[in-house]
Amino acid sequence: MKKFSVLTVLVLLMSLIAGTAAAQVIELTYWTHTDDNRTMIENRYIEEFEKMYPNVKIKRVVNEASKMGDLVLTAFSAQNAPDIFNLPIEQEFGYMKHYRVAPVNYEAAGYKGAEDLISKYQAGTFDSVMMDGEIYGLPLELTNWAIYINKRVFWDAGLDPETDFPKTWEEMADIADKLTLRDGEIITRRGFDFRYPYYLVSVLPMVEQLGGKLISDDGKTAIVNEEAWIQVLEFMRDWGPNGRNLGSPTYAAARKIFNKDNNDMGMCLSGFYQQGRIKVDNPEFYESGDWMVVPFPVFENAVNDVAASYYGHYLMVNAQTTPEKQEWAWRFIAYMLDHPMEYLLTVNIIQPRNDLLEDENFMNLPYMDVFMGDMERAHVVFMHENGYQFERFITEAVEDVMLSDVPVEEALESLRERIQEVLDDEY
Amino acid sequence: MRPKQGFSMEQKKARWGWIFVTPALILFSIFSFYPMLNAFYESFHNKNLLSLRPPRYVGWANYTYLFQSKDFLNSVKNTAIFTLGTFIPLLVVSLILAAFIMSIKKFQRFFQMAFYAPAVLSSVVAALIWLLIFDPRGIANQGLNTLFGTSGVNYNWLSKPGMLRLSTIIVYFWKYVGYFTIVFVSGIGSIPHNLHEAALIDGANRWQDFWYITFPLLKPTTLLVSIMAMIQCLKTFSTQYLFITAGAPTRPINVITLNIYYTAIKDHRIGRASAMSILLFLVMFFFTYLQLKVSKTEEVTYM
Repeated sequence: MKKFSVLTVLVLLMSLIAGTAAAQVIELTYWTHTDDNRTMIENRYIEEFEKMYPNVKIKRVVNEASKMGDLVLTAFSAQNAPDIFNLPIEQEFGYMKHYRVAPVNYEAAGYKGAEDLISKYQAGTFDSVMMDGEIYGLPLELTNWAIYINKRVFWDAGLDPETDFPKTWEEMADIADKLTLRDGEIITRRGFDFRYPYYLVSVLPMVEQLGGKLISDDGKTAIVNEEAWIQVLEFMRDWGPNGRNLGSPTYAAARKIFNKDNNDMGMCLSGFYQQGRIKVDNPEFYESGDWMVVPFPVFENAVNDVAASYYGHYLMVNAQTTPEKQEWAWRFIAYMLDHPMEYLLTVNIIQPRNDLLEDENFMNLPYMDVFMGDMERAHVVFMHENGYQFERFITEAVEDVMLSDVPVEEALESLRERIQEVLDDEY
Repeated sequence: MRPKQGFSMEQKKARWGWIFVTPALILFSIFSFYPMLNAFYESFHNKNLLSLRPPRYVGWANYTYLFQSKDFLNSVKNTAIFTLGTFIPLLVVSLILAAFIMSIKKFQRFFQMAFYAPAVLSSVVAALIWLLIFDPRGIANQGLNTLFGTSGVNYNWLSKPGMLRLSTIIVYFWKYVGYFTIVFVSGIGSIPHNLHEAALIDGANRWQDFWYITFPLLKPTTLLVSIMAMIQCLKTFSTQYLFITAGAPTRPINVITLNIYYTAIKDHRIGRASAMSILLFLVMFFFTYLQLKVSKTEEVTYM
């Protein structure tokens, strides 16, 4: 009986020790979007980090980019959110505003403070993630779009891409018309087409070129400078099947078919990362050099020289998780982001750290000068808690004029009403 | 003879009945009944999905807003068009197909499988297949051009409001007609064969046999199919969602469920989205009750 009691006490003690040891293990969950190249290097970073800190275990969960927003939102509303996540910055804004994410732990991330962190990155990098003097995210990538050109399509249409590339939107429409091939009304080769769902990134800047704005500076009035909006909506109407029939949202995404070089896409709008995708999808085309990148066009009567807005994915940390987990999360994020050159060369994404941008190899990358030049002409994508809602309303206005024969003035009035209603709504 | 434990056979059966039903009831309560009650509660509150603040009571404000909202009224119109455009053809054609299957002597199983096959596909896969078909360079345009002897006419399956609505109806019809056909086939199969034999002996032809024997006796199945099909149509979501994601215009196919999704998940307004879902629930409840009430007067019994 005595032996049995001693044994029982020993077993209890051992399980207590084991339990304590298990409790010391920090388990972090990191949700991110699909990207095979990034998965490869980040899995390696996780392995290295776990080796350095055996008390930390990191579970990296990959979700489809289009579903990430819904998944992260429902996880947060169910109080079951990941410790670390990334989303497009315009989606992350709401998380900051409602204090669902934690400010950067500078010490854990290896910085002396906010100023030290800011000084290590390109000016303006943290403008979109700053609130009440605190920084809420570290940039996984900053992206801006320029125009990719397939030289072979230009040559096929008797144009010289080096000189005939479009500098204005009016030229863009005319050149696209020359490049477009049709079977009756059905387009078999498009000269250029827009990236339709992303109106805040590429269409709103077109309005801004003409002096228009989505909302006034005081945030109270929808649609500033009606003429600018009308001109852009008319341009989109003329682009669509009821106008010059140059493209439509219902055709396959331009940037996806561009890589295939099947003589069905002359130009598309995309970021530096597109080069990596061309290399993977069609190495022959990539190596041929029969493609080039030119700046985002402006209208002939533009009053502002604005390029496509840049947007980013920032790594953020769940504020509802324990302080200890938050600290380790920032430590891990900083470790990953300490490899900007590998992210650039392997994943083709730009982390705007000064040490990367000042590296001589950086500017020697193909067409980096075009992207950096456009970055200087651009500003960060429109940020508002209801930004996505506004983008949906713009989408519907463009669809109305392009596809449903709704008069431009009527579509604009409807857009104004809907945005104003959201601005006035005290939900 | 009384059972030893003091329970009658009926009580014993009832007890076992409860034991078997309880897990389902618990699961239903957790995953269906609680969310419904919660949605009802939320519909009287304003709550931002991301906010940590507690919900703010607003009374009927979300409901009064919806009845004045052009966006919501447009969704009601789209849902009504889709439901009427899909539910009636589904009911009629699945009945015709079932009658056809039951009337042939060979290949019954083959036709049942062939018609049912699309129902096995996920809505996502079905919509993706049809997106390829409706693409401007897809076979829908090619087919109509061949049929009408035209060349290069774009019928704008995914862009013109009317054609877009028709496209969503075609996808849904294609996906579910086989399922309801099978339900009708089992309904026709359950009608005693001697009734058909008696009708034929009395000189009825095949049409008269169907119209005066099969059709009236199929009433419970028709009722079941009509309720199921209508509720399914009112709840349609994935076809419209995938079409919009692929670039189709939102306004003509922004059905109520899609509006609920946008309001809750994209706009974070869970109270308003809950009010929409309660209204949709009431509509479905009303039509189901109406169908049951109308059909109750003529219940079928085989004597």
